[in-house]
Amino acid sequence: MKKIQIPLEENLGHGHLACAGCGAAVAMRLTLKALGEKTIMVFPASCWSIVPGSWPYSSFRITAIHAGFVTAGATASGVRAALDVRGDHDTLVAVWAGDGGTFDIGLQALSGAAERNENFLYICNDNEGYMNTGTQRSSATPLLAWTTTTPVMQPKENPKKDIMAIMADHQIPYAATATIAYPEDLIRKLEKAKGIRGTRFIHLFSPCPPGWKMASEMSVKISRLAVRSRIFPLYEIENGRNYTIQEEHRVVPVKEYLKLQGRFSHLTEKDIETTQRNVDDTWERLQRRARCFI
Amino acid sequence: MKRVITGNQAVAYGVILSRVDVISAYPITPQTTIVEELSELIASGRLKTKFLKVESEHSAMAALIGASTGGVRTFTATSSHGLAYMHEMLHWASGARLPIVLVNVNRALGAPWNIWGDQSDSLSQRDTGWIQLYCENNQEVLDTILQAYLIAETVRLPVMVVLDAFVLSHTSEPVEVPSMEEVDSFLPPFCPDYPIDTQEPRAYSVITTPEYFLEFRYKVQKAMEEVPEVSRKVDDEFRSRFGRGYGAIERYGKEEAEVVLVTSGTVTSTSRMVIRKLNEEGWSVAGLKIKRFRPFPSEEIYGAIKGAKKLAVIDRNLSAGVGGIFAQELRAALYPKEERLPVFGFVSGLGGRDITPELIEEAIRYTYQHPRPEEEILWLGLKK
Amino acid sequence: MPKQFTFKSVSEMPMISVSLGDMEWNKTGAWRTQRPFYEDKTPPCSAACPAGNDIVAFIQKIAQEDFEGAWNVIKEENPFPGVCGRVCFYPCESRCNRGSFDEPIAIHALERFVADFASRLNKKTAKAREKRKERVAIIGSGPAGMSCAFHLARLYYDVTVFESFSLAGGMLRMGIPSYRLPRNVLDRELSNIEALGVEIRTGVSLGEDLRLEDLKDYQAVFIATGAHRSRGLHIPGEKEKGVLSGLDLLKKINLSKRGKLGDKIAVIGGGNTAIDVARSVIRLGKKANILYRRSREEMPAFEDEILEALEEGVKIRYLVNPIRVGQKDGLKRLECLRMELSEKDESGRRRPVPIPNSNLFIDADHVIIAAGEEIEASFLPEGLEKKEGIVLTQRDGSTGIKGIFAGGDLTSNQRTVAHAIGSGKKAAMAIDAFLKGTDAEEVIIQNLIGEGPSLSIFGYLHPGERLRNPHVVTFEELNMDYFEPAKRQGESKSAVKERIKGFKEVSSTLSEGVALDEAERCFSCGTCNECENCYVFCPDGSILKREELFPHQVDYDYCKGCGICFTECPRGAISLKGEAK
Repeated sequence: MKKIQIPLEENLGHGHLACAGCGAAVAMRLTLKALGEKTIMVFPASCWSIVPGSWPYSSFRITAIHAGFVTAGATASGVRAALDVRGDHDTLVAVWAGDGGTFDIGLQALSGAAERNENFLYICNDNEGYMNTGTQRSSATPLLAWTTTTPVMQPKENPKKDIMAIMADHQIPYAATATIAYPEDLIRKLEKAKGIRGTRFIHLFSPCPPGWKMASEMSVKISRLAVRSRIFPLYEIENGRNYTIQEEHRVVPVKEYLKLQGRFSHLTEKDIETTQRNVDDTWERLQRRARCFI
Repeated sequence: MKRVITGNQAVAYGVILSRVDVISAYPITPQTTIVEELSELIASGRLKTKFLKVESEHSAMAALIGASTGGVRTFTATSSHGLAYMHEMLHWASGARLPIVLVNVNRALGAPWNIWGDQSDSLSQRDTGWIQLYCENNQEVLDTILQAYLIAETVRLPVMVVLDAFVLSHTSEPVEVPSMEEVDSFLPPFCPDYPIDTQEPRAYSVITTPEYFLEFRYKVQKAMEEVPEVSRKVDDEFRSRFGRGYGAIERYGKEEAEVVLVTSGTVTSTSRMVIRKLNEEGWSVAGLKIKRFRPFPSEEIYGAIKGAKKLAVIDRNLSAGVGGIFAQELRAALYPKEERLPVFGFVSGLGGRDITPELIEEAIRYTYQHPRPEEEILWLGLKK
Repeated sequence: MPKQFTFKSVSEMPMISVSLGDMEWNKTGAWRTQRPFYEDKTPPCSAACPAGNDIVAFIQKIAQEDFEGAWNVIKEENPFPGVCGRVCFYPCESRCNRGSFDEPIAIHALERFVADFASRLNKKTAKAREKRKERVAIIGSGPAGMSCAFHLARLYYDVTVFESFSLAGGMLRMGIPSYRLPRNVLDRELSNIEALGVEIRTGVSLGEDLRLEDLKDYQAVFIATGAHRSRGLHIPGEKEKGVLSGLDLLKKINLSKRGKLGDKIAVIGGGNTAIDVARSVIRLGKKANILYRRSREEMPAFEDEILEALEEGVKIRYLVNPIRVGQKDGLKRLECLRMELSEKDESGRRRPVPIPNSNLFIDADHVIIAAGEEIEASFLPEGLEKKEGIVLTQRDGSTGIKGIFAGGDLTSNQRTVAHAIGSGKKAAMAIDAFLKGTDAEEVIIQNLIGEGPSLSIFGYLHPGERLRNPHVVTFEELNMDYFEPAKRQGESKSAVKERIKGFKEVSSTLSEGVALDEAERCFSCGTCNECENCYVFCPDGSILKREELFPHQVDYDYCKGCGICFTECPRGAISLKGEAK
C-alpha cells in the first residue's frame, strides 16, 4: 500500500490560531518539515502575522523574522547578506509571503531581489485574496470570484496575474507550482529548491475555508480539484526556459471545482463556460510558453 | 591623514572605517556619490562589505533590518524622497531596536520638484524613534559617523547623520581621516542582543497586543533618555583619542548675550561669521549650534541660554501650519521653565535658497528691534 | 504543563518582541463543533461472506507481506480457506466496492493463496488443550459440522463428530470433484481441526450405530447431516437401469471408484452438481450433454463453472425438459419438450412453460439426474419440525428439542459451502451460550457482521479487541482520489487439453508477487490500514501515531474539528460527530 512519505519532524507547534481546515496551515506544516531547522524564514504581513500567536509566544519551531508587508524580498536579501558576511553559507534563508505580499504590494521588492538573483527560497502562499484583512481582492483573485471588495453584483473583472510567468522571465534558476493535495510533490520541490543557489520561487496554492466560502473539511479535496481541472497546474520552470509540466490524467471540468466554493455560487452557466474557456486557454498558453525555448 | 574631500566622500570614509558589513542603498541626488564611492571601494576588493543594490529606498531599509537582525553592522544613505519612501521602515527599525546608521543628505521634498538643500526631509522623520545628529562641516560628518555606531550600538536605537545638500555633500574641505587602527580601538565590533541561532529558534518582531505594546514603547523612550549621557561619554572618548569633540550643542559668541541665534547644519558656519562681526560692532549676540536634534537637548540648551533675553531660530525647514521645526521644539523645551524667552522663528533657505550673511544679520536685527516676534513665522528672503 | 508567561513589570520584559515560548498552552480543541474519531466500519465483502470471514483484515496482512498473519486472521473465523478459496461462489466479490471503480478484488484467489502458503509452514500441531467438562456431539462431518467442531474446540469443549461415511468431509469429499478441490487440501484442513482435539468417528450412522438415547450423554448436539439425496424428476422410466443419481455418480468418481459408463452421457439439471457431473464425465473420456429447462441466465450453477465446462467441451441445451425415459437400440431415449419462459416464480427466475407438441428425442448411454438435492430425514429425532424440504430452526439454530441444534444444508435452501461454514460457527456460539446459560439470540445480535446474517466469532472470543461499527461502507463513502485504476489479476488456469486429461486442479494458486499486487488494490473499506493520510493532512498536527486500539489517535487537546482527516481518509475509517457541549 502506497503511503504518503513526509519527513517526521514537526516544525510547527500546536495551539496556533489558523482557522479550522486552513489550507495554509497544512502547507506551512509540510513546508517546515521540508525546510528543516537550519532555516531563517522571513515572513511579511499575512495571516501568518497572527496565526503563530502573539508575543511572547510563537508556534514556529524554526527561526522566523516578521517583516513589513512590502518588504519580503528586501528583508530576506538583507538576512542573506548578513549570513554570507559572517561566513555562514549553509543556513537557508526562506520567505513565506501571501499573495498580497507577492503579487501586489510586495512585487517590487521581489522583482528587485529576483533580478539580483538573491540567494533565498521564496514561497508564496496563494489563497487568492487579502485574507488576513478580511477577504479583499488581490491580483491573485480569480476572474468572477466574490471577495468583500468584489461583491457579487460586481465580481472580479480581471483574470489572475500570472506570477509564475513573471518570475520565470526574471530568469531565476527555479520556479515551481505546488499545492497541499500533493504533499510529496511539494516536499520534493522544496528539497530540490534547497539545493539550488539563487532566487527560487514556489507558488503554493492553499484553499481558505472562510475566504472561499467552502466547508473546512474540503481544503485538500479542492486543492486537488484545482490541479485536476487545470485551474492550478503543477509545473516547474528552470532558468526561465526549461518547463516540466506535470500531466494530470484524470482531468475534470472546472465546474467540479467551482461548485464546491461559495465565492463562485453566483456564477451563471455562461460564466462557468467562460471560466472553462479561460482555463483551457491558459493551459494552452502554458504549453506554448513551454515550447518557446525548445 | 589630512585629505581634501567632499562631504559625501567623508561619509564613505566613515563607513569604511566603521567596518560596516552590509550596505543597502538606492541612488538619489545628492547622495549618489556616496554609493558610487562605496561601490568602487567594494569592487576593488578593499572591503568585504556586501552592498545590496536594491530597487528602492524602502527596500534598502528593509534589507538593513534583515541584515541587522542577522547580527551585522549596517549602513545606508539617502535623501529627500528616498528618506520619505522608507518612512514606515524607519519606524520598524527603531521599534526593532536595530542600531542602523543612515546618512541623510538634506534635500527638499516635492512638490514642486527640487534637489537642493532643505531640512524638511530629515525633520519629517522626527517621530520615527531615530536619533538625529546634524553636521556643520565635512570633518564633523566623518567623525559623527564613527560616533554614531558607538551610540547606536550602546543604546540600541538607529541613528540618522545629516548633512546639507551640495554645500557639504559636493564641496571639498580638508578633513583629518583617522587610521583604521585608531578607529578599531575606539569602535568595538557589533554584538547583537538577540543573535540568531538556528539551533535555538526564535521568532522576531512577533505581533504584540495592547497587553504589552506600551511597555515596548516605554523601553524605546527610556533608551532615548539614555542618549544624552551615552553620547557625552562617546564624545569625550572621541575627543581624548582624536582631539575633536562636538557635544550635543555648541555655544559661541558673546558670554552674556542678549540675543542667542539658534542654527543647525552649515548655516552655523555662516552665522559664526556674522555674529563675530556684529559683536565687534558692539552687539550682544551669541550663537547656539544644535548638533543633536533627537533627543532634543533641552537640558544642555537651558544651560547655554542663561542670561539671554531673546532667542532667534533660523529653520531651513517648514512644517506647514506650524512653522520652523527647530523653533517649535525649542518652544516646547522652554515651556516648563519659569522664564519663557520669546522665540523668534525664522524660516529661510528652503529648496536650497542661500542663507546669506545679510539674511542672518537681518534676522538678528529684527530680533533685537522687536520685543516679541510680530508673526508666528518670520520669513527671511521671501520675495514679497 | 505547557509554559505560559505573565509579565507584571516592564523590567521583566525583553528589549524586543522576540518569542519566548510556544503556543502549546492554547488548547484549540475548545474550538470544535464536531469531532473526528477513528471508527472501523464493516466492509461489504465481510457483510456478504456467509462464512463471516474478516476479509479486509487478512488482505491487509497480505499487503504487509505478513502471510502467516493473514492465515491467523482467517483462522479466527473460518477453518476452511483452502476449500473456500477454491469452491466458494464469492459473493464478496460482487459486493466489493472496487468493482464500482475498476474490477473487484480477487478475494477468493487471495484466500486460497493464504491457505496454500500456510500449508507449507511447518507448524507444530496445537497442544491438546484442557477441555471443559461439557461434551458436544456433532452429527455430520461436512463443512457445517466441522466448522462447528472447530469453533467449539476453540471454546474448549469436548467435541465428538459422528460421520456415517468412512471418510470425513461430507459434500466436500463426495460432491465436489478433485479438479475443483484436491483431496490433499481437504484432508489437510480437516486434520487441522482434528489437531485441536476434535474426535471424528467415521462409519457411525445416526439411527443405526448411534442411537438417539446415546445422544443424552452429550450436553448439546448439532445435527448437520446435509442434503445428499438426489431429487427425482417424477417421470416414467426414471427408476430404470441406466439412469443414475448425479450425487451418487459424483461420490463414486470422487472416491476414485470407476464404474462402467457409456460414451454419451446426458445430464439433467442446471446447478453445480450437473456441471460437476458433466465435467467429471468429460475427464473420463466421455461426451457430456447437459439438458436444462430454463435458459443460461437462470442456471443456478456458478458462472465460472459454466464457462469452464463449455471450454472443456460440455454441451448445454437450454429450454429443454425430459418427460419420459425410454429405450431405443440399447440406449436410453429421453423424450423431451421444448420450454419457453414466462413470468418469474418465487425464486425470482422466469418460469419454464412447455411448448405443446415440441417433442424431441435425445439418446444417451446413461442419463444422470442432477436436478437438486433433498434432505434425508428418516433418522432424525422426533420433534424436529420440517417444512418445504428443510428442518426448521430458530435464528440461533436451536430446534424444538432443548439442547439439539441443527444447521447446514439440512436447515436451509441456500446450499453453499460458505453458508454451511457460517451456520456451523453460529451453532457453536449458540451452543456455548446455551451451555453457559446466556442468551444465544443476544450473542448473535451482538456479533452480526453489518446487518447480518453473517456472524463473526472474533468479537465473541476477544471482547473489545476489534470494535466495528455495523454500518456497511458504500462506494460513495470512499475517497477515490487515492486510487489509480489497476487491472485485476486472477488465477491462471491450465489449458483445456491438459485439464480434461484427468482430475488435477484446473486453476493454480497466485504467486506471491501477484498476490501482493492484488492485495494492494483492496480499498480496505471502513478499516484503517495506516495509510497516514490523516497524519499528513492535519493542519494542526493533531493526529498522533500511537499503538493502541487503532494505529492513530486524535489529539483532542488541539484538534479543531475541521474534518479534513474525515474527507481524506480513502476508506471511511474516520467518523465525525457533533461535539457535546
